[in-house]
Amino acid sequence: MKHRRLLLAAEVTVLALTALFLFGALRGQHRESSDIRGYIIERGSEETGALNLVTAIYLGYRAFDTLGETIVLLIAVTGVLYFLMSAEGKHEEDDDT
Amino acid sequence: MKKTTILDLVSRKLAPFMLLFGFYLLAYGHTSPGGGFQGGVVIASGVILLVVAQGVDSAESLFPSPALSRVETLAFLLFIGAGLTGLAAGMGFLGNPFAQVDVQAVPRVGIVLVLNLIIGIEVGSGISLICLRLFREE
Repeated sequence: MKHRRLLLAAEVTVLALTALFLFGALRGQHRESSDIRGYIIERGSEETGALNLVTAIYLGYRAFDTLGETIVLLIAVTGVLYFLMSAEGKHEEDDDT
Repeated sequence: MKKTTILDLVSRKLAPFMLLFGFYLLAYGHTSPGGGFQGGVVIASGVILLVVAQGVDSAESLFPSPALSRVETLAFLLFIGAGLTGLAAGMGFLGNPFAQVDVQAVPRVGIVLVLNLIIGIEVGSGISLICLRLFREE
Protein backbone atom coordinates (compact mmCIF):
# COMPACT_ATOMS: atom_id res chain seq x y z
CA MET A 1 0.00 0.00 0.00
CA LYS A 2 2.77 2.35 0.97
CA HIS A 3 4.74 1.35 -2.09
CA ARG A 4 1.78 2.16 -4.28
CA ARG A 5 1.31 5.58 -2.75
CA LEU A 6 4.99 6.30 -3.30
CA LEU A 7 4.64 5.30 -6.94
CA LEU A 8 1.64 7.60 -7.33
CA ALA A 9 3.55 10.50 -5.82
CA ALA A 10 6.44 9.86 -8.19
CA GLU A 11 4.10 9.82 -11.18
CA VAL A 12 2.47 13.09 -10.13
CA THR A 13 5.88 14.68 -9.65
CA VAL A 14 7.05 13.61 -13.09
CA LEU A 15 3.86 14.89 -14.70
CA ALA A 16 4.09 18.21 -12.90
CA LEU A 17 7.72 18.66 -13.91
CA THR A 18 6.86 17.82 -17.53
CA ALA A 19 4.00 20.32 -17.51
CA LEU A 20 6.27 22.97 -16.04
CA PHE A 21 8.94 22.32 -18.65
CA LEU A 22 6.45 22.32 -21.51
CA PHE A 23 4.87 25.53 -20.25
CA GLY A 24 8.24 27.21 -20.21
CA ALA A 25 9.32 25.83 -23.55
CA LEU A 26 6.13 26.26 -25.55
CA ARG A 27 5.17 29.72 -24.40
CA GLY A 28 6.68 31.07 -27.57
CA GLN A 29 8.54 33.96 -26.02
CA HIS A 30 12.04 33.13 -27.05
CA ARG A 31 13.71 36.41 -26.45
CA GLU A 32 17.03 35.52 -27.97
CA SER A 33 16.98 36.14 -31.67
CA SER A 34 19.63 34.76 -33.95
CA ASP A 35 20.75 35.78 -37.38
CA ILE A 36 20.06 32.40 -38.90
CA ARG A 37 16.47 32.43 -37.69
CA GLY A 38 15.74 35.80 -39.21
CA TYR A 39 17.44 34.75 -42.41
CA ILE A 40 15.39 31.57 -42.72
CA ILE A 41 12.12 33.33 -41.95
CA GLU A 42 12.91 36.00 -44.50
CA ARG A 43 14.44 34.04 -47.36
CA GLY A 44 13.79 30.38 -46.58
CA SER A 45 10.79 29.67 -48.76
CA GLU A 46 12.14 31.89 -51.47
CA GLU A 47 15.44 30.04 -51.73
CA THR A 48 14.20 26.48 -51.42
CA GLY A 49 10.72 26.76 -52.93
CA ALA A 50 8.89 25.23 -49.95
CA LEU A 51 6.36 27.32 -48.03
CA ASN A 52 6.67 25.19 -44.92
CA LEU A 53 9.84 26.37 -43.23
CA VAL A 54 10.48 23.06 -41.54
CA THR A 55 10.46 21.39 -44.94
CA ALA A 56 12.55 24.25 -46.29
CA ILE A 57 15.21 23.38 -43.74
CA TYR A 58 15.16 19.60 -43.85
CA LEU A 59 14.86 19.22 -47.61
CA GLY A 60 16.40 22.50 -48.66
CA TYR A 61 19.28 23.63 -46.52
CA ARG A 62 19.91 20.26 -44.89
CA ALA A 63 18.93 17.81 -47.59
CA PHE A 64 22.25 16.06 -47.19
CA ASP A 65 21.36 15.31 -43.57
CA THR A 66 18.08 13.85 -44.78
CA LEU A 67 20.01 11.65 -47.22
CA GLY A 68 21.97 10.37 -44.22
CA GLU A 69 18.73 9.65 -42.34
CA THR A 70 17.45 7.71 -45.33
CA ILE A 71 20.62 5.63 -45.41
CA VAL A 72 20.26 4.97 -41.68
CA LEU A 73 16.66 3.85 -42.19
CA LEU A 74 17.59 1.58 -45.09
CA ILE A 75 20.40 -0.05 -43.10
CA ALA A 76 18.17 -0.42 -40.04
CA VAL A 77 15.43 -2.15 -42.05
CA THR A 78 18.00 -4.39 -43.71
CA GLY A 79 19.50 -5.36 -40.37
CA VAL A 80 16.16 -6.05 -38.71
CA LEU A 81 15.03 -8.17 -41.65
CA TYR A 82 18.32 -10.05 -41.64
CA PHE A 83 18.06 -10.93 -37.98
CA LEU A 84 14.38 -11.85 -38.23
CA MET A 85 14.98 -14.05 -41.26
CA SER A 86 17.93 -15.79 -39.64
CA ALA A 87 15.92 -16.36 -36.46
CA GLU A 88 13.14 -17.87 -38.56
CA GLY A 89 15.56 -20.15 -40.39
CA LYS A 90 17.06 -21.31 -37.10
CA HIS A 91 13.59 -21.99 -35.74
CA GLU A 92 12.80 -24.18 -38.73
CA GLU A 93 16.09 -26.00 -38.30
CA ASP A 94 15.24 -26.66 -34.68
CA ASP A 95 11.90 -28.04 -35.77
CA ASP A 96 13.61 -30.39 -38.19
CA THR A 97 16.04 -31.85 -35.71
CA MET B 1 -8.35 -14.80 -31.67
CA LYS B 2 -11.97 -14.27 -32.57
CA LYS B 3 -12.60 -11.67 -35.25
CA THR B 4 -15.78 -9.69 -34.89
CA THR B 5 -17.80 -8.20 -37.73
CA ILE B 6 -17.23 -4.68 -36.42
CA LEU B 7 -13.45 -5.04 -36.52
CA ASP B 8 -13.58 -6.60 -39.96
CA LEU B 9 -15.83 -3.93 -41.45
CA VAL B 10 -14.22 -0.91 -39.78
CA SER B 11 -10.70 -1.94 -40.69
CA ARG B 12 -11.71 -2.55 -44.29
CA LYS B 13 -13.38 0.84 -44.54
CA LEU B 14 -10.70 2.73 -42.64
CA ALA B 15 -7.49 1.38 -44.18
CA PRO B 16 -7.86 3.00 -47.63
CA PHE B 17 -8.49 6.37 -46.01
CA MET B 18 -5.41 5.98 -43.83
CA LEU B 19 -3.33 5.24 -46.91
CA LEU B 20 -4.90 8.23 -48.66
CA PHE B 21 -4.18 10.49 -45.69
CA GLY B 22 -0.57 9.30 -45.72
CA PHE B 23 -0.22 10.24 -49.36
CA TYR B 24 -1.91 13.57 -48.64
CA LEU B 25 0.72 14.28 -45.99
CA LEU B 26 3.42 13.43 -48.51
CA ALA B 27 2.00 15.54 -51.30
CA TYR B 28 1.37 18.60 -49.14
CA GLY B 29 4.43 18.36 -46.90
CA HIS B 30 5.93 21.47 -48.45
CA THR B 31 3.05 23.78 -47.57
CA SER B 32 1.47 22.30 -44.46
CA PRO B 33 2.70 20.29 -41.48
CA GLY B 34 3.66 16.81 -42.50
CA GLY B 35 6.35 15.55 -44.77
CA GLY B 36 8.13 12.45 -45.80
CA PHE B 37 8.75 10.68 -42.52
CA GLN B 38 5.37 11.37 -40.95
CA GLY B 39 3.47 10.51 -44.11
CA GLY B 40 5.41 7.30 -44.51
CA VAL B 41 4.61 6.26 -40.97
CA VAL B 42 0.90 6.98 -41.56
CA ILE B 43 1.01 4.78 -44.68
CA ALA B 44 2.70 2.05 -42.68
CA SER B 45 0.05 2.36 -39.97
CA GLY B 46 -2.62 1.73 -42.61
CA VAL B 47 -0.81 -1.44 -43.61
CA ILE B 48 -0.45 -2.42 -39.95
CA LEU B 49 -4.18 -1.95 -39.42
CA LEU B 50 -4.81 -4.34 -42.29
CA VAL B 51 -2.32 -6.81 -40.84
CA VAL B 52 -3.82 -6.68 -37.36
CA ALA B 53 -7.45 -6.86 -38.42
CA GLN B 54 -7.37 -8.99 -41.57
CA GLY B 55 -4.41 -11.23 -40.91
CA VAL B 56 -0.93 -11.32 -42.33
CA ASP B 57 -1.76 -13.41 -45.38
CA SER B 58 -4.46 -11.16 -46.78
CA ALA B 59 -2.34 -8.07 -46.10
CA GLU B 60 0.57 -9.76 -47.82
CA SER B 61 -1.55 -10.50 -50.87
CA LEU B 62 -2.12 -6.75 -51.13
CA PHE B 63 1.44 -5.69 -50.22
CA PRO B 64 3.80 -8.58 -51.04
CA SER B 65 7.02 -8.31 -49.08
CA PRO B 66 9.39 -8.93 -52.02
CA ALA B 67 7.73 -6.05 -53.85
CA LEU B 68 7.96 -3.87 -50.73
CA SER B 69 11.65 -4.53 -50.31
CA ARG B 70 12.24 -3.81 -53.97
CA VAL B 71 10.25 -0.57 -53.69
CA GLU B 72 12.31 0.49 -50.70
CA THR B 73 15.63 -0.05 -52.45
CA LEU B 74 14.32 1.64 -55.57
CA ALA B 75 13.16 4.65 -53.53
CA PHE B 76 16.63 5.06 -52.08
CA LEU B 77 18.18 4.95 -55.54
CA LEU B 78 15.59 7.48 -56.71
CA PHE B 79 16.58 9.76 -53.84
CA ILE B 80 20.17 9.78 -55.05
CA GLY B 81 18.95 10.23 -58.62
CA ALA B 82 16.83 13.21 -57.60
CA GLY B 83 19.86 14.67 -55.89
CA LEU B 84 21.87 14.26 -59.06
CA THR B 85 19.35 16.31 -61.05
CA GLY B 86 20.31 19.29 -58.92
CA LEU B 87 23.93 18.56 -59.79
CA ALA B 88 23.03 18.45 -63.48
CA ALA B 89 21.26 21.81 -63.19
CA GLY B 90 24.44 23.33 -61.80
CA MET B 91 23.24 23.91 -58.22
CA GLY B 92 25.14 21.24 -56.35
CA PHE B 93 24.06 17.89 -55.02
CA LEU B 94 20.41 17.89 -53.79
CA GLY B 95 19.88 21.45 -54.94
CA ASN B 96 16.45 22.57 -56.09
CA PRO B 97 16.66 23.64 -59.74
CA PHE B 98 13.05 24.86 -59.75
CA ALA B 99 13.57 27.41 -57.00
CA GLN B 100 15.07 29.80 -59.50
CA VAL B 101 12.24 29.49 -61.99
CA ASP B 102 10.01 32.49 -61.52
CA VAL B 103 6.67 31.11 -62.65
CA GLN B 104 3.68 31.85 -60.46
CA ALA B 105 1.40 29.22 -61.96
CA VAL B 106 3.83 26.37 -61.53
CA PRO B 107 4.67 25.67 -57.89
CA ARG B 108 8.33 26.17 -57.28
CA VAL B 109 8.66 23.23 -54.92
CA GLY B 110 10.19 21.00 -57.57
CA ILE B 111 12.65 18.68 -55.96
CA VAL B 112 11.26 19.17 -52.44
CA LEU B 113 7.97 17.54 -53.43
CA VAL B 114 9.77 14.71 -55.20
CA LEU B 115 12.03 14.08 -52.21
CA ASN B 116 9.05 14.12 -49.85
CA LEU B 117 7.25 11.52 -51.94
CA ILE B 118 10.36 9.35 -52.23
CA ILE B 119 11.14 9.50 -48.50
CA GLY B 120 7.52 8.74 -47.64
CA ILE B 121 7.39 5.70 -49.90
CA GLU B 122 10.67 4.45 -48.52
CA VAL B 123 9.67 4.90 -44.86
CA GLY B 124 6.24 3.39 -45.44
CA SER B 125 7.53 0.33 -47.26
CA GLY B 126 10.36 -0.20 -44.79
CA ILE B 127 8.22 -0.02 -41.66
CA SER B 128 5.43 -2.13 -43.14
CA LEU B 129 8.07 -4.67 -44.23
CA ILE B 130 9.37 -4.95 -40.66
CA CYS B 131 5.84 -5.19 -39.27
CA LEU B 132 4.75 -7.85 -41.78
CA ARG B 133 7.78 -9.93 -40.83
CA LEU B 134 7.24 -9.40 -37.11
CA PHE B 135 3.55 -10.31 -37.23
CA ARG B 136 4.21 -13.43 -39.26
CA GLU B 137 6.63 -14.65 -36.61
CA GLU B 138 3.99 -15.91 -34.17
